Amino acid sequence: MAEATRESAQERNGKVETSHYPETDPERKDKNYYGVPPIKHAHWTWQIPIYFWIGGIGAGAHLFSTIAGLLGHDDRALQRASRYTVLVTMILSPILLIWDLGRPERFYNMFRILKLRSPMSTQSWSLTVFGTLSGLVATAQAADDGLLGRGRIARLAKALIPEKLVSVLALPFGLYVGSNTGNLISATSVPLWARNWLFMAPTFLASGVSTALSWLSLILNLTRSGEEKTLRALHRAEKATIVIEAVLVALSLGRMSRWSKPLFSKEVAPLFVGGALLCGILAPFALLSGEERRGKSMLASLLVLAGGLAFRFALIRGGRISADDPEAYFTFASGENAPQPEDKV
Amino acid sequence: MATGFLTDTTVCIGCKACEVACKQWNQLPADGYEFTGDSYDNTKQLSGSTWRHVAFIENPKKRRLTGDVDLVALAEDVKEQLPGGAELDALGRWTFMSDVCKHCVEAPCQQACPTGAIIRNEFDNVYIQPDVCNGCGYCVPACPYGVITQVPEDGRAFKCTLCYDRQRDGMEPACAKACPTDSIMFGDVEDLKVMAEQRVAELHNKGYTQAYVYGTPEVGGTGGIGGNHSKFILMDEPETYNLPKHPYLPQEKVRGGVIASAVAATVLGAVVAWAFRD
Repeated sequence: MAEATRESAQERNGKVETSHYPETDPERKDKNYYGVPPIKHAHWTWQIPIYFWIGGIGAGAHLFSTIAGLLGHDDRALQRASRYTVLVTMILSPILLIWDLGRPERFYNMFRILKLRSPMSTQSWSLTVFGTLSGLVATAQAADDGLLGRGRIARLAKALIPEKLVSVLALPFGLYVGSNTGNLISATSVPLWARNWLFMAPTFLASGVSTALSWLSLILNLTRSGEEKTLRALHRAEKATIVIEAVLVALSLGRMSRWSKPLFSKEVAPLFVGGALLCGILAPFALLSGEERRGKSMLASLLVLAGGLAFRFALIRGGRISADDPEAYFTFASGENAPQPEDKV
Repeated sequence: MATGFLTDTTVCIGCKACEVACKQWNQLPADGYEFTGDSYDNTKQLSGSTWRHVAFIENPKKRRLTGDVDLVALAEDVKEQLPGGAELDALGRWTFMSDVCKHCVEAPCQQACPTGAIIRNEFDNVYIQPDVCNGCGYCVPACPYGVITQVPEDGRAFKCTLCYDRQRDGMEPACAKACPTDSIMFGDVEDLKVMAEQRVAELHNKGYTQAYVYGTPEVGGTGGIGGNHSKFILMDEPETYNLPKHPYLPQEKVRGGVIASAVAATVLGAVVAWAFRD
């Protein structure tokens, strides 16, 4: 850029009059300050996309098993797989999030206040509520499985915890955890994220449910457990959520329009196009569309899980590139492009 | 009373006294000896350890230099034709701007902060309580001006406090005190607003019609942010100074995002229920 500016300045003037042609040449079209990013990118490292991934799996698994229970479909193998999955994700999530803090020992300051306008605040709270409730459900499950022994504790846990009621209570919080990750990144000044405020959270939730269904079907297939009906429902739901996810990703790209460029950059394209789109959406859909076979279904599950992870890494890395690009931010914040307060939902 | 800054870039001479005074008073660490090659600006940008930053923008001459520049005539503000066709502004001019936290009326960093560490203090300034901040870093991408920054060595986020400690003792902030040309003015926001308008009118009268105030809700666009307590008198497009033309409040869209999520959750729940049909 600087080279081109210099040459055109020389051409225009006919001869070189001074050796200095600064970057802020009046003829320059792209006004910025020496290419210094006008906004700062988020420091988030690998913990955050991994949390986005496992949080989505926890939320999706809880959604599936709770709805199965509500419909009177009590498959013990499904409930067991789902409840322990949610428990593990809800133990890992806070660990990852606290790890990412600049001052991890002060994590409890998140609970000084509840701020509905801050997705980070509502996320901390919803994670706590969902984690606690799903922990209760998992405790009841453990008592059922004899993991708490056969003594008084197991009997008390079984008697005191109304599993179904707690599962239903936890459902909205779980769904909030699964979708809020999208709102978390879109409520920033980063063009790639902020531009897509409408579809970001739905896309994250759909991708989370899709990865969760794949995880459950992978576990049930691996352990050769689960009723015929469960597997059939999982298979159907998997296919449907992949389609929903694909539609939402397409809508997101449409909304991001020119600011989606970082997703197709050399650094992120392997993750986004190769990982999220091909491996996470297209390939598993093709595999699931054919006749049902255990091996094929397991491969599809693995691909969806890997694709979901790639999708989250791609968005976080793309956001970094987007924030570091003055041109992207200035065009975004030039008036007509930025979401305006008067915009309706 | 709300206090704030008015930074008049037209009288800034780029001495960086504000940068030094800020670092000294607030005991901020040095940023190392980086040589950027970007004019005389080796500070580059505001950061967690740099709360005032002087931007050096070089405006080269618009036309060919045909004669000698008469420096005496320049100093005496001579208007008539100069001998030899020399031009007053022939060498081009500098634009300096001492950048600082904008202390937004509706501050995105404050709205993003999940711990309540970022507050509005009694002077209506946006202030980070260092003993509460847990370094989640969510305020950093929220800031539409790229001001607030996490310091990796410390873990927490830092930015201009508008010298809260000095204000408590009835003194003006260190940068405003040190500024030799009064480019940085400190005072009641309402007073500063009037002063800014007067100064811009004066500049317009002198023929500098490009001058305007950046950081008021009416001019320079601050969508949803409701204006800034740190105002600037600028002579060029905001982007030249690395400022957005139309910053907006990212949290405006949280409600919409949550509604969209609720719709998505309902649809996905229905799809799962549908999958169990037989």
